[in-house]
Amino acid sequence: MNTITLHHTLPRVFRGRTDIQSDIWQQEVTFERGHLYLIEAVSGTGKSSLCSYLVGYRGDYEGTMCFDGRNIRELCTYDWTTLRQRSLSTMFQELRVFPELTAWENVLVKNQLTRFKTEAEIAAYFETLGIAEKRETRLGHLSYGQQQRVALIRALCQPFDFLLADEPVSHLDAENTRIMGELMMAEAQRQGAGIIITSIGHHMDLPYEKVFKL
Amino acid sequence: MKLIWKLLRRHLSVGQLVGFFFANLLGMLIVLLSLQFYEDILPAFTGDDGVMKNTYIIVSKQISAVTTMRGEAQTFTEADIRDFESQRFTKQVGAFTASQYQVYGSLSMGGMGIGTNMFFESVPDEFVDNKWPTAREGEVPIILPRSYLALYNFGFAQSQSLPKLSEGVVSMIQMDVRLRGEGGREVNLKGRVVAFSTRLNTVLVPLSFMQRMNQELAPNASSAPTRLIVEVKNPTDDAIAAYIQDHGYELENDTLDAGRATYFLKVVAGIVMAVGLLISALSFYILMLSIYLLVQKNADKLQNLLLIGYSPARVSRPYQLLTIGLNALVLLLSFMLLFWIRSLYLERLWEMFPTLSEGSVTMTILIGFALFVFVSFLNIVVIRRKINRLTPRFKRLKGGLYRTINGK
Repeated sequence: MNTITLHHTLPRVFRGRTDIQSDIWQQEVTFERGHLYLIEAVSGTGKSSLCSYLVGYRGDYEGTMCFDGRNIRELCTYDWTTLRQRSLSTMFQELRVFPELTAWENVLVKNQLTRFKTEAEIAAYFETLGIAEKRETRLGHLSYGQQQRVALIRALCQPFDFLLADEPVSHLDAENTRIMGELMMAEAQRQGAGIIITSIGHHMDLPYEKVFKL
Repeated sequence: MKLIWKLLRRHLSVGQLVGFFFANLLGMLIVLLSLQFYEDILPAFTGDDGVMKNTYIIVSKQISAVTTMRGEAQTFTEADIRDFESQRFTKQVGAFTASQYQVYGSLSMGGMGIGTNMFFESVPDEFVDNKWPTAREGEVPIILPRSYLALYNFGFAQSQSLPKLSEGVVSMIQMDVRLRGEGGREVNLKGRVVAFSTRLNTVLVPLSFMQRMNQELAPNASSAPTRLIVEVKNPTDDAIAAYIQDHGYELENDTLDAGRATYFLKVVAGIVMAVGLLISALSFYILMLSIYLLVQKNADKLQNLLLIGYSPARVSRPYQLLTIGLNALVLLLSFMLLFWIRSLYLERLWEMFPTLSEGSVTMTILIGFALFVFVSFLNIVVIRRKINRLTPRFKRLKGGLYRTINGK
């Protein structure tokens, strides 16, 4: 997948509103592979909705969203499954991890599906992010910041053309934010992929090529 | 797969599954048992007894005080036979040929002898199912009614402290047979019992033997038959009973009753099977409701799995395997129970109908498997559909608009 385009899209709940001042909603927007984007938002402007639309979890919007020019409403279950495995990796704001599994198992659930990283590579990620000793701890017992780091590792365990990260560092300190940014950039560069990051204030200090105000 | 199962087995209600398991087991067992029992018992009503097919009926003229006093003939005329042959329910008609000479049969066992005056009859060979064995010189094959043996064993032998005889033993004993005809001419033969019949109430010998002996011992006698053996197309046909009544005939065997009994057996087995199927269907609902509940309770986890790239097929699989496993276990256990219960009732059945041939279990096993495949297939489809509904799908409407089919 090379481009994600938005043609005059608007969440259905905003229909009829005339005061919308946004770089995304009701605009022509194109995200290209290999580039780094930041979407800055304030609460209630539809940031989570946008991410839900892009991963095919919700469809309550007007206008058209396209992957490589193809309307994503026309994608079938198989298309979405393939996309989520090979082209579009997502770090959800609500993480969508499994509290009853250990940190390590949470990553394995994904990697067993994609077989993308070796155990050594995953272990190295745990090490780098400072949660190596938490590997066998049930995820529900970790802090939200630690869970965010596990969610990032999981997101990196697959091939992707775009990495969609919804508020990835909301609960991280400056040091871990920096490390996470580096890991994301390194993997994206290795794969030649694009990154779309959303934020409601605190964000990673990265060389964004374009910043949108939602 | 192990991790997925670890996630999805949460909220699994063991109670509900056990409930389903026993309900389904009961339903399946009732279905299979009614089917197998029907298969096993049917031959007792309709089966051949080895000598006579179940489509044969034996007809005689009614004997009453009036007919006896009037001295009316109880024999069938040529016209009677032709009329019977022309009926649409008739396949073929054969006449009984009676012996025109005296028959004295005697047995001797271990120094003791029993003897009796008796008679022979014959029917055309095509009415005898297992063809007559070729007789040795000076020997005559005989088919005895099974009731004679029972009469001896349970009536005579019991009271006289004589040994009871099995069919096998009787077949090995040779009988001395003395035939005495016109002018005191005698023929001495060995008689050998080659078969027993439940339906045929006479001492049967081959027709060729009968004709030869009648010729030899009573060349001047001739007689019309007193009994007819008729092969009918369908013994349950009402027209037969009506015809027989209209002509003042009598039926000698129970073929027609067996036809009615078979009908009732079918109805009863059908009702029982329907009850079994109903229980099975209800248990299927229990399972489906239980799985629905499970999917609902685990909806978040399932959705998360779908959103990180798992296909609905793969996410459905643990639940599908669970139901298939349960169904297979039910099938296996109901087969085991079936064979156990069957061995119990077969024993009783054999006591009542010693000649009953064992019915086949192939049909029951096939039906069991067919039910298993059908129910499992339904389970698979229903689970998959339920899980597919966890993510939104859209339908394109006219004018480029889309409508959400499911999900948000």
